[in-house]
Amino acid sequence: MLIYILFVLSTIFVVGFVGFSSKPSPVYGGIGLIVSGGVGCGIVVSFGGSFLGLMVFLIYLGGMLVVFGYTTAMAMEQYPEVWASNMVVLGSFIVGLIMECMLVLYVLVDGEFGLIVKFNEVGDWVIYDVSSSDIISGETMGVAALYSYGSWLVIITGWSLLIGVVIILEITRGN
Amino acid sequence: MSLTHMNIMMAFIISLLGLLMYRSHLMSSLLCLEGLMLSLFVLITITTLTAHTTLTNMLPIILLVFAACEAALGLSLLVAVSNTYGTDYVQNLNLLQC
Repeated sequence: MLIYILFVLSTIFVVGFVGFSSKPSPVYGGIGLIVSGGVGCGIVVSFGGSFLGLMVFLIYLGGMLVVFGYTTAMAMEQYPEVWASNMVVLGSFIVGLIMECMLVLYVLVDGEFGLIVKFNEVGDWVIYDVSSSDIISGETMGVAALYSYGSWLVIITGWSLLIGVVIILEITRGN
Repeated sequence: MSLTHMNIMMAFIISLLGLLMYRSHLMSSLLCLEGLMLSLFVLITITTLTAHTTLTNMLPIILLVFAACEAALGLSLLVAVSNTYGTDYVQNLNLLQC
């Protein structure tokens, strides 16, 4: 069972997505997104990308979702709706769970799933030929290339972030 | 393609459906937009890590930067709506109704 740990992690990822996509009150939606973010980091780390997995935790969960949490606390209602308190939310959550369960069972019976593109089970275990194993992994070198080959990209993203901050100041000032 | 790719594409589709069908809060739609960005990040990362195209590893970081920009802008619009109406209910945005 533990061979399929990657598939199990991605299934928990989808269940977390169904949890906030069935739209309870945004506080509980934030909980679903945090769970999905943590499991997504686990998926990325399982493929060997340790730097990018830590980036999910630090920047996505620790930066963006904290801001979302504060804004949700500001615009909150007195009695937030949990998943079981509204028939629409509970119904869509159960429909999403049943859909994911049916997909998983179909895949586990056949071993592959294909309509136009074929998704097969052995794709998780294909070994690609890596010519050299260095001290610093290829992923870290690729990210570090952001500052040598991608310097123009850094300038563009930095400038757009600065302009974004100015725009947000103007929007929240109103009138 | 592996089954993990299938699950993450399914998560993208679920979050997209959640974004398109809104209920009462504007904040829920912004959370679904964040879910879209998270599923795209994981999808690009695992495609790059299995194909060993080294320079593509910078693409998820750039995606995260622009997703942060867009999330911050969406939140500032929500703050502007909440300052005018008191809550962020979508039914308050009805100035253009016929």
